[in-house]
Amino acid sequence: MNELKFLRTLAGINLASAMEYRASFISQIVGMFINNGIYFVFWLIFFDRFGTVRGYNIGEIYLLFAIVTLGYGLAYMFAGNTGGSLAYLIAQGRLDYYLVFPRNVLLHVVFSRMVVSTIGDVTFGLIAYLFTGRFHPLEIGLFLLSAVFVALILVAFGVMAGSLAFFLGNTQYASQQLNMTMLTFALYPNSLFTGAARFMLYTIVPAAFVGAVPVRIVQERNGLLLLGLAGVAALMWGLATAVFYTGLRRYESGSAINVNV
Amino acid sequence: MNGLAVDVSGLVKTFQVKQKAPGLRGSWRAVWQPAVKEVTAVADISFTLEEGEILAFIGPNGAGKSTTIKMLTGILYPSGGQASVLGYTPWQDRRTLGFHIGSVFGQKPQLWYHLPAEDTFRLFARIYELDMAAFRQRRDFLVEAFDIGHLLQIPVRKLSLGQRMKCEITASLLHRPRIIFLDEPTIGLDVVAKQQIRDAITYLNEEENTTIFLTSHDAGDIEKLSRRVIIINHGRLIYDGRTSALKRQYLTRKRIDVRFAERLNGDELILPGVTILKRGTYGLKLEFDSRAVPVEQVVQQIMAVKPTQDINIADPPLEEIIRDIYQA
Repeated sequence: MNELKFLRTLAGINLASAMEYRASFISQIVGMFINNGIYFVFWLIFFDRFGTVRGYNIGEIYLLFAIVTLGYGLAYMFAGNTGGSLAYLIAQGRLDYYLVFPRNVLLHVVFSRMVVSTIGDVTFGLIAYLFTGRFHPLEIGLFLLSAVFVALILVAFGVMAGSLAFFLGNTQYASQQLNMTMLTFALYPNSLFTGAARFMLYTIVPAAFVGAVPVRIVQERNGLLLLGLAGVAALMWGLATAVFYTGLRRYESGSAINVNV
Repeated sequence: MNGLAVDVSGLVKTFQVKQKAPGLRGSWRAVWQPAVKEVTAVADISFTLEEGEILAFIGPNGAGKSTTIKMLTGILYPSGGQASVLGYTPWQDRRTLGFHIGSVFGQKPQLWYHLPAEDTFRLFARIYELDMAAFRQRRDFLVEAFDIGHLLQIPVRKLSLGQRMKCEITASLLHRPRIIFLDEPTIGLDVVAKQQIRDAITYLNEEENTTIFLTSHDAGDIEKLSRRVIIINHGRLIYDGRTSALKRQYLTRKRIDVRFAERLNGDELILPGVTILKRGTYGLKLEFDSRAVPVEQVVQQIMAVKPTQDINIADPPLEEIIRDIYQA
């Protein structure tokens, strides 16, 4: 309970810090909304020309975009220190700040940064869902819950990607790249991939659990699959926690001067 | 009777440091044949610190001071040895210990840069799970003590270094820590700000019995705050004793400033073992080793030269003593 109160305060202070610069705050949100829109329009043109691609039509694309962008937005709106950012903090020895406090260090680090532009992602995800035409309360509920689990999976994956820095040194760009790979594959129709590539999307880079599986959950109104997705999220958090704390034993700190923004 | 605040026994920390020859060729070779060298930052140090004590933990850059503090605050795991802080093993009981310790790292601010200090204070109240009424009372007390009431609504980035440091220390004291680790708290501050910080540290120690673990390169901090000094160099403890004893043990050099009533001719004072540091029209600055030449003898010789107006015998600054110890 105390942890939740703390995380809520942390989210508030993050938002307050972001709003200190009004122009930057607004332009980042609007910019991300436009950015998503352009990518989305590309798919609209594509499906207008080709109709369906291996079972995916424009309806599935609306749903895919809605879930992935909402999940991504929720993840990075609250937990921005994953992937490249986390690797940077580790490599620069900047975890010192978090380690002297009596809090769960993983949650404190991860939730200490808000990526402002993701407010644009959240807005975009919700608007994209309106285009799916799926307004049955069960579908809306499954959509929102799926997006929460997608956010948890993305954060857990980002923690593992960022924690590579404990073992390999400065992996800032590699960790960032891994996060981008996850997101990119999640936004493609899953049916495009077969064989080893498909296997990879359910294991090493589990993008299928961020895109394809949640789409099926809403389409099929499949509560059992939602439970499965929750299990994957829990498993990934368990793995992420183990990797992070194993790495933390190897943490070497540093003498860099740091500032909390 | 006070208990032990810190108990360190045979503490060791080694790091794996990548080695690389200079230049692009060295970098290329390091990609294919990475070489790693083990560097010992802290080598088997042992000491204890009682609750309510002020300890100056000093040493040159790279001596292992910060690494030791990082192990004592649970930031780093040691490579060997034991440490107990307030009865807890820092790297195992990090979270529990965190409620009882405070830390100020002069070069690693804790305040949120773009927000007023008050926002960080509120965050800290959550971090330390403080009752809000008790938090407000403590905050108001510290704000008055540090005279920072007028700074609370200003974003931290707009504060001067001295103002910011006072806010940093306030933040670290909100939860009434039993021991506070201060790593270079006066770095870069002017004399007024330094004095304010020193006054606050003295107050904490005297009124709240807070144990102070201080590292500083400023001899003034050490001389004015701590009765005990530990010096480490190359990761090893080379001195552990009272500040006054440090001066006595290493302070055999004396300096005399003398002002004569009459003009000097140039060759009035020739004494073996006495060096003239500076010669003026009416004055001399001398330095000598009191083990080789007794102070009385030098003073008698000076008095015999010409009538004196003023004479002042002083120790060299602590800074010079410490420098000599480091260099030895």
